[in-house]
Amino acid sequence: MTTEIKRVFSFYFFLKKKSSRTKIFFLLSSAAILLALVIRAYRLAGHWAENSQIIFQNILMVFFLQFLIIILALFYGTSIVPEEMEGKTWPYLSSRPVSKAAIIIGKYLSSLAVTSIMLVSSLLLSYFILNLDRDFQLKDIWTVVSYSLVLLLGLAAYLSFFTFLSTWLAKPILLGLAFGFGWENVIQYFPGTTQKLSIVHYLKSLLPQYASASGRLSFLFIRLEPTRDWLAVLILLLITVVFLGLAALLFSYKEYLIQD
Amino acid sequence: MTAIIEARNLSRWYGNVLGISEINLEINPGITALLGPNGAGKSTFMKILTGQLKANIGEARIFGEKVWNNRRIFSRLGFCPEDDAFYEDLSGLEFLSGLLSLYGFSQAESRQKASQALDLVELADVADRQVRSYSRGMRQRIKIAQAIAHDPEVLILDEPLSGLDPLSKRRIIKLIKEFKNAGKTIVISSHILPEVEALTSEIVLIHQGKIIARGDIYFIRDLIDTHPHMIRIKSAQYRQLATTMAGEDYLLKMAFEPEDQAVVFETHDRDRFFNRLNELLLSSPLAIDEITSPDDNLQAVFDYLVGK
Repeated sequence: MTTEIKRVFSFYFFLKKKSSRTKIFFLLSSAAILLALVIRAYRLAGHWAENSQIIFQNILMVFFLQFLIIILALFYGTSIVPEEMEGKTWPYLSSRPVSKAAIIIGKYLSSLAVTSIMLVSSLLLSYFILNLDRDFQLKDIWTVVSYSLVLLLGLAAYLSFFTFLSTWLAKPILLGLAFGFGWENVIQYFPGTTQKLSIVHYLKSLLPQYASASGRLSFLFIRLEPTRDWLAVLILLLITVVFLGLAALLFSYKEYLIQD
Repeated sequence: MTAIIEARNLSRWYGNVLGISEINLEINPGITALLGPNGAGKSTFMKILTGQLKANIGEARIFGEKVWNNRRIFSRLGFCPEDDAFYEDLSGLEFLSGLLSLYGFSQAESRQKASQALDLVELADVADRQVRSYSRGMRQRIKIAQAIAHDPEVLILDEPLSGLDPLSKRRIIKLIKEFKNAGKTIVISSHILPEVEALTSEIVLIHQGKIIARGDIYFIRDLIDTHPHMIRIKSAQYRQLATTMAGEDYLLKMAFEPEDQAVVFETHDRDRFFNRLNELLLSSPLAIDEITSPDDNLQAVFDYLVGK
């Protein structure tokens, strides 16, 4: 099945690179770069004295963590099956010698690759725009790499969950929106173990600066009762594998009808 | 010898709506046409054969193997879907080579096979243009190209000639015949009898999800010829025409449409009717504005055959 997954991945990675949706989301993810440029210019003019690491953490927590990875995963994940049915291109896939599980996993991986490029390029560029100065140290590179890895882990988990929704429901976007921007936002303010029923909880647990976050948007980060790092990583990986497995299984046995 | 394609008691419903019912069919190498009006069940049958749908009852086999969730057979099968749907952002060459890569061909092989298929359907000169810019006929031809590009042993073509201009139609018919001559098995669906006649003499008539007849073109033609034909003639002298024709024994009915200055004849022998009409036109000063056949479509013939 690995070779089949590779074939599907290559085809869809190429397809996604050329799609207009990718161009739109690439622009959207570049908003952080634009914001970083504006802040840098503002700071150079001597208007904003706050530590640039803290400014970046605020962008990370609000834009990347609570918006960008969710929106990318939502639109790419929930469209994995419906785009073939609504676009009526499913017969081209179903009549090829690739298993249905390989189609789902290959499409998932191609979406993950494309969205990861958008996410990481935007994250790195905005970080370096804000922090590349005389105070920049080598350890700062590890900081931004660790941020990237945590966000990639989150992207993989969200994408897997939304991929599962796309194999399960004909119109998964509404439930996806409610989950991504409703449930995930609200539940993190709940004390105790309830907040552990969200993906964002484990992501926040992995961002060490988060616990001591300060700055203008620090009110957003209260009430976290973090999970240990290794456990958070394990749970995120588990979410990714379980939902992707469920999606592949469901897609293999469920019948999908193209609506005329 | 085992048939290449076998359907045993194949039935499929969409909720309460019947798609196909108890289809039993064996298809051997050569061209077999599924002929039936829109909604007859041809596409449902083809979707089952290509693994998109699962039969509720019965089973479909290709090369002796069950079709549903059996990807092994798909490397030996090519399918041209009915819907006008594509990955629109790709060029014709990218579309074909991308789909070919799913068979496991290398990038170079995929491009080479894609170019050959584009040549066959005469789209080589627009290979680098985006599919979204193709005309209806070009889109139909590239759909056929993706079905034949990997040189399959079985070709399943759902309404492959629709949307094609007469020249393209002739080219595609020639291409399909070449596949037949190469010993391949081709199943083709259509609701247009002359199209089918140009392709094959092996015809399966499908109506309301059931096979109502199977035979060669002469058998089907005989069946259809027993169906009374309606011929509507518009002429200023329509009453005079009706009087002259009234004595002919092959005429079953006549009806006047005075508001349109037309007369509608019903006959069970169209050839004799038109021979007589030609004689009349040559020997008398009758002037005819228009001749039409109000029920000259497959639906009317099928309704007649199933006794509606």
